[in-house]
Amino acid sequence: MSKKTRSGAVSHLWLHLFLVFFTIIAVYPVLWVFTVAFSGQQNLAFVDLPPDPGFLDRLRAVVPWPATISLQNFTDVVTQQPFLRWMLNSAIVSALTTILGVFLACTAAYAFSRFQFPGRKAGMMSFLVSQMFPGTLLLVPIYIIITQWLGLGNSFIGLVLVYSVTAIPFCVWMLKGYFDTIPLEIEESAIMDGASRQAIFFRIILPLAKPAVAVTALFSFMTAWNEFILAATFLEEEVKYTAPVGLKFFVGGFASQWGYFSAGSIIISIPVVLLFLYLQKYLVSGLTAGGVKG
Amino acid sequence: MSIVAQETAYDSSEAGPRRKGLAALLLHPAALGTLLAAAILSGLTWWFISQARGELAEDAWNRGVIIELEALADIVAGVEGGSATGGDLPAVLRALPQHDGHFKVLRLSGARLLASTDPADAGDRAAPRRLDREEKWLFDLGQELRAAVETNRAERGERRQVEVTPLGDGQVRISLPYYVDGDVAGIVQAQRPRVIAVERPSWVAAAAAAIIPWLLMAGFLAWRRSRDAWPEPTGRNWLAFVIGLVVVGGVGWALGSMFISDTRDYQAELAEALAANFTDVRERMAFVAGGQAISVAPGAENTWDVDLYQRPLGIIGPGGSIDAAALSAQAGRIEGALGEALWGNLAAAAVVLAFFSLGFASRTRGALREHRYAYFYVLPAMFGMLILVFFPFVYGIALSFTEQTVMNVSEPITEVWAGFANYVQILGDVDIVQSTAAGSVINYQNFYWTLFITICWTVSNVAVGVTLGMLLALALNTKGLRFTNLYRVLLILPWAIPNYITALIWKGMFHQQFGVINQGIQMFGGEPIAWFDGVFSAFMTGLMTNGWLSFPFMMVVILGGLQSISQDMYEAATIDGASKWQQFWQITLPSLKPTIVPAVIISVVWTFNMFNVIYLVSGGEPAGANEILITKAYKIAFEEYRYGYAAAYSVVIFLILLVYGVFQTRMTRATEATTT
Repeated sequence: MSKKTRSGAVSHLWLHLFLVFFTIIAVYPVLWVFTVAFSGQQNLAFVDLPPDPGFLDRLRAVVPWPATISLQNFTDVVTQQPFLRWMLNSAIVSALTTILGVFLACTAAYAFSRFQFPGRKAGMMSFLVSQMFPGTLLLVPIYIIITQWLGLGNSFIGLVLVYSVTAIPFCVWMLKGYFDTIPLEIEESAIMDGASRQAIFFRIILPLAKPAVAVTALFSFMTAWNEFILAATFLEEEVKYTAPVGLKFFVGGFASQWGYFSAGSIIISIPVVLLFLYLQKYLVSGLTAGGVKG
Repeated sequence: MSIVAQETAYDSSEAGPRRKGLAALLLHPAALGTLLAAAILSGLTWWFISQARGELAEDAWNRGVIIELEALADIVAGVEGGSATGGDLPAVLRALPQHDGHFKVLRLSGARLLASTDPADAGDRAAPRRLDREEKWLFDLGQELRAAVETNRAERGERRQVEVTPLGDGQVRISLPYYVDGDVAGIVQAQRPRVIAVERPSWVAAAAAAIIPWLLMAGFLAWRRSRDAWPEPTGRNWLAFVIGLVVVGGVGWALGSMFISDTRDYQAELAEALAANFTDVRERMAFVAGGQAISVAPGAENTWDVDLYQRPLGIIGPGGSIDAAALSAQAGRIEGALGEALWGNLAAAAVVLAFFSLGFASRTRGALREHRYAYFYVLPAMFGMLILVFFPFVYGIALSFTEQTVMNVSEPITEVWAGFANYVQILGDVDIVQSTAAGSVINYQNFYWTLFITICWTVSNVAVGVTLGMLLALALNTKGLRFTNLYRVLLILPWAIPNYITALIWKGMFHQQFGVINQGIQMFGGEPIAWFDGVFSAFMTGLMTNGWLSFPFMMVVILGGLQSISQDMYEAATIDGASKWQQFWQITLPSLKPTIVPAVIISVVWTFNMFNVIYLVSGGEPAGANEILITKAYKIAFEEYRYGYAAAYSVVIFLILLVYGVFQTRMTRATEATTT
């Protein structure tokens, strides 16, 4: 018996070593960002190496701890760079996307869940099929439609429209699944009591589906908050950048303001990372369910 | 669904008493359909004719300017060629009508502005002088026209020798070359506001053509009613359809012929005005030439009235007469194109008419009324999807058959139609290895190379993700292991961070001089690697970054699968004496299959489409060798601005994913069939 526990402890030691090794790999880039951000400089290197560095000097150069700790990058990025403006832009775009996206998805999902009407099956299938359309095939026409035809290039409205509409199919399928679980009897009794369709939807169904609506809203928000390609393609003026485009601006091309980039990344990531860790169980079940359906 | 039953109760009034009188006749679907079809037909006809007239007027205006410029070019050629003495070019320019604009004459050799009536070219900028730096465009324009003329001569090419440039604010600039000893020696240019008053076709006639068939159809319906053969609105009223088609087509034909014959008159008017203009210019030039001793009148053929390729049009003779045969040939070409367009309009009208008189409209209306709440709720989302997803999809496919670029984006698709040329260019180019003087090199721009890289990229990433995810999930699933929750949260971190940030972080870590990865290599005595200079090392940067990004997803999914496996099976296996290894292969893997297969399927698609990592880490370096299909398509569209080609590229990507999707569904069905 004692022998068995000891062999278990030994194998656990190896397991711990294995897990610690991968945890370090997983965490290292995060520590790297913190180190660069708190170094107070724009350098990529953590320390200045002596002319003929030895093993220990090199080791010091990879240990993610800044030579001097300073909040300079954080204060500079919000005061001297238009970063706060970009954050605000991102917040506006994400908030509008969330409101519009949730409205569009809730109404459609309710109709698909509660009504039998000609075109219902075709509509739902078309939403599913649209998920197979590759992004780049849509990107050029959407770009032409938004910038040339609607004249919404370089504006938040164009971005909000594209974000909220492209998120519709996923949100509709998720919400429809939840609406299906709400018993029909509740609505029937409400109709008996003389409630109108609108009253049923806004006063009964939406409050009952609050958890699903909240998750949909958070996903819409995170998609818009993290989106890079469309924003980079559509927005031309520096004052209109969203935060992702702005971060790329710090280190893209010939710029190398790694300190600003790191400080900005941390400010932007903290809310999404916390949200993500809180929401990940919904995410996994939703994604794998979608995967099985095709 | 008892709610649905409730819903239909609203619409029981549908079967109420039938409306009588004139309203019933005019609002019958067959009558409404006739009205709509006739309105579409006459509206489109009006619009097409209107466009054609606009084009004719614009064309005539351009020709007027070209006549003046060609006359000027002849004089300049005489002066420059030395056949005339004195050569007071400013006087020649002033002799031409100015029309609130100005003329310029440029000699290419020496980049000299020989003469100009531009108010800006006065004082110390007065011609003749050398062009300054800001006027380089003028010189470039001259070079372009010279190249066009030479190409057209050498290869019978179709490059325009007359440049017409709208400048905004209604100003138009027209330039064409002059020749000395048969070669382009320079250009003459006119700039002035383009003021055209187009005579539009009569809208009263168009409105009448829309309303008359409607009234006729109502009359037909009244006759049917009097014979007690009232056509039901929801029925298939073939007779009404045929009659409607005949009436709409007949009235439409009459309207079309009337408009076309009007247009013919309009064209003749324009030609006469042009001939008068030509005579005027010839007299002015003859007068000037008299003072200068140069012969400038056009010879046996009118070489001043030319098209954009400087080919004589032959409509206005050298004496200012109009060649009726040439004019009617030109009219015939325009009418042919118009006729085709009008047949298309008639087809559209017929579809509308059929929709109404064969009862589809009534039935659609019935369904819409019955399910109005459902449609009301679906409408906003459907509308958005139509505008920003389904239409762009169709439009993208249409674009893939064109050579649309950023330069001609405002032109209609039919103008830039290229057929399958883009696809042939993408798929037909199989020369991956090109042999040059320096030996054979791989053409990294080739589609098949990019496809090869994409496949390597997808397979290696998914393999890395699944392997790492599986190992870590197995480790975390060990019973009695401490700190699992801590490990789990820390290991999930890479997934939680927005991937564009991750990609940029790794880009920094791969920096050749200051990046920590090269520092680590040097720590163990290695040489720093120029990560983005080699094809393989650049590929590895993407693989490492994406491997880091993607293993947490696999780990979480597999961990979920592992936790749902019943422990009883392992206990039974242990009792039967199975080793841990055997348990893994016989119990764990088969039980994980339903979890892993969908996860792999979805992560193949994700990795295939993983734009951010490639675009932000290596950017496809070196020399585009590491692009995957999706980043390549993006760069073609937004760095080379070849929209049509990029669309074709994207369609190919879509087809690849479609084949994968079909293949994958077959595979999963097959595995499901064997497991159940």
